[in-house]
Amino acid sequence: MRKLLRHETILAVLVVLALIVLASQSDKFFTLDNILNQGRLMTEVGLIAVIMTFVIVTGGIDLSVGSILGLVAILIGVFWKNMGLPLPMAIGLGLVVGTFAGFINGIIITRFRVPPLIATLGTLALYRGIAEGISEARSVRGYPDWFFVLGQGQVLGVPTQLWLFGIVAVIAAIVLGYTTWGRATYAIGSNETAARFSGLRVDWIKIAIYSSSGFAAALAAAIFVSRVSTTRSDMGAGVELDAITAVVLGGTSIFGGRGTIVGTVLGLILIQALKNGLSLAGVKSDGTIVLIGAVLILTILISNLFHRNGNR
Amino acid sequence: MLRTSLAVLAVLSLSTSLVQAQSAWTGGDDLPTSPLACDGTPATPVAKPYDGGVPTNAPDRNGKQITAVDVPKLIGIGYFDATSKGIAEAAAELGNMTATTDGPTEANIDDQITLIDNYVTKGVDGILFAANDPVAIAPVLKKALAAGINVVGYDANSEPDARQWFVNQAEFNGIAKTMIDSLAAEVGEDASFAIVTSTFTTPNQARWIAEMAAYAAACHPNLKWLETVEAQEDNILSFNQANTLINKHGDDLKGILGMTSVATPAAADAVTQAGKCGSIAVVGLATPNAMKPYVESDCVKSVVLWNPVDLGYAAAYVLRATADGTLKPGDTTVKAGKLGDLSVINGSEILLGAPFVFTKDNIGGFNF
Repeated sequence: MRKLLRHETILAVLVVLALIVLASQSDKFFTLDNILNQGRLMTEVGLIAVIMTFVIVTGGIDLSVGSILGLVAILIGVFWKNMGLPLPMAIGLGLVVGTFAGFINGIIITRFRVPPLIATLGTLALYRGIAEGISEARSVRGYPDWFFVLGQGQVLGVPTQLWLFGIVAVIAAIVLGYTTWGRATYAIGSNETAARFSGLRVDWIKIAIYSSSGFAAALAAAIFVSRVSTTRSDMGAGVELDAITAVVLGGTSIFGGRGTIVGTVLGLILIQALKNGLSLAGVKSDGTIVLIGAVLILTILISNLFHRNGNR
Repeated sequence: MLRTSLAVLAVLSLSTSLVQAQSAWTGGDDLPTSPLACDGTPATPVAKPYDGGVPTNAPDRNGKQITAVDVPKLIGIGYFDATSKGIAEAAAELGNMTATTDGPTEANIDDQITLIDNYVTKGVDGILFAANDPVAIAPVLKKALAAGINVVGYDANSEPDARQWFVNQAEFNGIAKTMIDSLAAEVGEDASFAIVTSTFTTPNQARWIAEMAAYAAACHPNLKWLETVEAQEDNILSFNQANTLINKHGDDLKGILGMTSVATPAAADAVTQAGKCGSIAVVGLATPNAMKPYVESDCVKSVVLWNPVDLGYAAAYVLRATADGTLKPGDTTVKAGKLGDLSVINGSEILLGAPFVFTKDNIGGFNF
């Protein structure tokens, strides 16, 4: 546990440092408006990254989340506009389909013993293809005003989706840190065979985690559609990489068995702060990507330096 | 045996009914079309009231130094390099405007929204944009207007009320006519052709395709459209898609229409490498530099476009005129430096001019 805390401490120091430096570069950076707005922009990747932490802690990976996001976004539009369902029901059905898409990932990985990287690489293409096929490449627009509360409105002065993200992150942190579920997740990632022989229902837990990952992507889809007020089949392309970057930056070992939600949230904040702060400071977007890549490698290097004596 | 033939029959009837069901060209949008007359008689302009947006409490910027940011669909491609060159040229000429170009590295709507959002927070006087999606970009542009920022679009429009003016490089029906006329002149009236576009939802391409379908139906009814394929705005994908078309349709394919400045040279390259120069014509939108090798080797005869440097140049002038208050709702023309007076169309759009066809005779004189 002490070892785990160390990476998060380094990261927290780095976040504070970044915030101070960025705030000194632009007086617009550290304003309440901007911070809340950045929270709004961060939510979709954030939701996915929080559940991705579980996936990566088990030693797996889920590359299909961006495609599930696109598929669910299209389905919400199609259910509502083309099939005439009420919008709340369309969103509900979208969440069900997203969860099911994640469930299929879980089945492919556990029942057919396909490595998660390959299984979800396959469904990445599969789900995106279905999304483009269903949408017939047309976008759905003209959603009712109340729907935009989710993505563009605010509750008690804080963007609506940030509340959602907060709730999901807190629940996830409790589940991963303090429940038998969380312990089982770490156990699978540390040594799957040992976990199996200890009587853990490894397959069932994995399926549940991949299903949750699908659910998180579906939730992100509803928020995304509400935020940009239109539905496109190319939505969410590349989101999986943003989420994985945040998780890994947050100290989760890509080999499994190590990682926390707090780390992931810190990773998310650092990336979002860098993207926004550098842009406000006048750095162009191509320069920003280079810097984020450098920060990712640097953080992992520093963290590994401190852990040289520990395993992994 | 009977069962096999029945199955074959079923499959055949199914596929023919599918073919028949697929009468409309894919890749077009659902909006109404207005094809031009076959002989090129200019359409009479329809007067339409101003339908653009208005910034809230914009400060008096008349004649004052302003900072503007230009957010194209993406950076690092020849086309948008040319527009930003035009913007820089106009800014230098005006002297009281600084303009920087900053766009996403991929044509990604989410990145573009985030980028504009950051510039709104940072506080600029004007935003020039080329939208990756007309509806998705609208909320953030409205936010910019609400912050008192002057917003002018070029190349790819947003919803009208999310920006003040839009500089239209060429009317959609004008481009559609030029494309289809050039194609028909090269391949004949009853040839088959296919289209390589960016994505089916990209607003410009969808509009052109819809207009081309309407114009072809009216003026070249025997031209046969095979299919439209998506190739993002990606070099390798465009080449592969064009190659697939060549292999798939064989001798049926007489022409390829390239809808983006990436797809057209890639299609020309695919035709050249397949040794089909002369038997498959490539007509499309592209920048002259990318097309010079193919035009000079006689593989491509017509390249349709406007001048993107002029487009950026005009957009910068329109932004300046909007900030100064010299371009107001209801005006019918705007002065744009060396381009002279440009006319206002469709309520809140400024028309750059008629499309331009680059051929072997004139392409050498252009460098962008």
